Amino acid sequence: MVLECHNISFKYPQSENDVFHNLSYKISEPGFNALFGPSGIGKTSFAKIITGMIRDYKGTINDEGLSTLLYTYNLERLPDWSSIGTHLKKIIPSDKNNQKEKLIDLFGINEIMGQRFSQLSLGQKNRINLIRYLLQDFDLLIMDESLANVDEITREKIILNIKKMFPEKFFLYISHNIIEVSKFCKEILVFRSTHKKPQTVSVNGQNLQLDEKIEKELLEKTMLEIMNVS
Amino acid sequence: MFLRRIYQFLMIYFIGLGVLLLLKYGLNLSNYVIPGLSEIYSTGTTEFARYFNDVVNTLSVAIIGQIVAVCMALFVGIIGRQATWFGSFVKVAAYNIQAYPIVALAPIIFILLGDGFISRLLIAAMICYFPLLLSIIGIMSEPITDVEHFYNVTGKMRWQLEVKIRSFENLNKLTTVITGSATLAMAGTIVAEFIAANAGIGYSIRIALYQSSLSKILAALFVIGITLSVYQGLLEWSGAVIKKGWASSGGPT
Repeated sequence: MVLECHNISFKYPQSENDVFHNLSYKISEPGFNALFGPSGIGKTSFAKIITGMIRDYKGTINDEGLSTLLYTYNLERLPDWSSIGTHLKKIIPSDKNNQKEKLIDLFGINEIMGQRFSQLSLGQKNRINLIRYLLQDFDLLIMDESLANVDEITREKIILNIKKMFPEKFFLYISHNIIEVSKFCKEILVFRSTHKKPQTVSVNGQNLQLDEKIEKELLEKTMLEIMNVS
Repeated sequence: MFLRRIYQFLMIYFIGLGVLLLLKYGLNLSNYVIPGLSEIYSTGTTEFARYFNDVVNTLSVAIIGQIVAVCMALFVGIIGRQATWFGSFVKVAAYNIQAYPIVALAPIIFILLGDGFISRLLIAAMICYFPLLLSIIGIMSEPITDVEHFYNVTGKMRWQLEVKIRSFENLNKLTTVITGSATLAMAGTIVAEFIAANAGIGYSIRIALYQSSLSKILAALFVIGITLSVYQGLLEWSGAVIKKGWASSGGPT
């Protein structure tokens, strides 16, 4: 399985400038990788190109062996006509019930199963949304700020457990949190402003796993490297 | 809701009546042109029962016409929501056809179908159908991206679910549109009766017009206003009950 993007260029209709030009990127192993960069630099557009939501781009994408690529973002909502528990029951295959219970427990949202989506906090909404995606059939999941508004400790617990529970899946994590991407991701694709060449630079992250401890110096080194190339 | 609607109507009715009386006394008009308050009151009490029956007759036609119009608008709106050539064709056709005044077609309908129930029903349904259709097409063609995205990308989206999501998210708008169309259905029926039918409050107003009896017309307007206010209040209340039930009980699956 591989995701390989060659010379991807894209600009919005009625815009003269490319959002990005000749962008190339490759992930050949499952795991947690990140897209990092300031707002409006093209991370979401790139994610949508990868998942086929944007089609009018130049370049080629080879996603051999990756049959289902999903994109989720932090503003998604569940319909409000029934409770969270009822929704999850309907949209998650019954053979994944054990995983569902485990995720609900790990994500700390046991007590909100009887509530409506509109009654939840932003962090709870994002956790519920992420659970339903994790339990679909997918090979690559792009998480666009999917853990926004979730506290740092819970976020760490969630990411480490996702990595443990889904070791064979590809993840692309879009975040503005430099510590988070440096700590948990294998490879970080840093998006730079359009006038810098190359427009993207890859940085190796610390790829922390559950029950491992991170070395502060290495983490700081990765963060510095990201800051330098940004 | 009922009381608010009735208060609003009474305020408008009595302001209108006050203006008429001001004109009468200001310009020293005779009782033949604008009757006095006592004559309006006595005509009202004498004719109330008969006019009430006429209004109920008209309202029943308007309600059936409105139900037909809502069903048709939902059917066409659901087809027209699609981003296919057929959906676009339905949308464009709806926008163009509604530009033609339906009342102008009423004489043709009476000539072809006579002055009975069907003609009144058809005109009532057609008059409230097009505004309803435009609103429903608008609601149904507007994606609720934040909710629909998951179902689209995971292949779980069905047309029934899409319609359900868009209806639920726009329930307040739908209720307002349907409540508003009640006035149109009633107006359509009255116009039809006024033009050629042989029953209903529109027919009674036509007779009163031939008799040049403004007091009878004012009495008829009073009964129409009160009855329509109660009907609209009922529609608003039903919308609120449906929304509450849908949102709190788990809703239709």
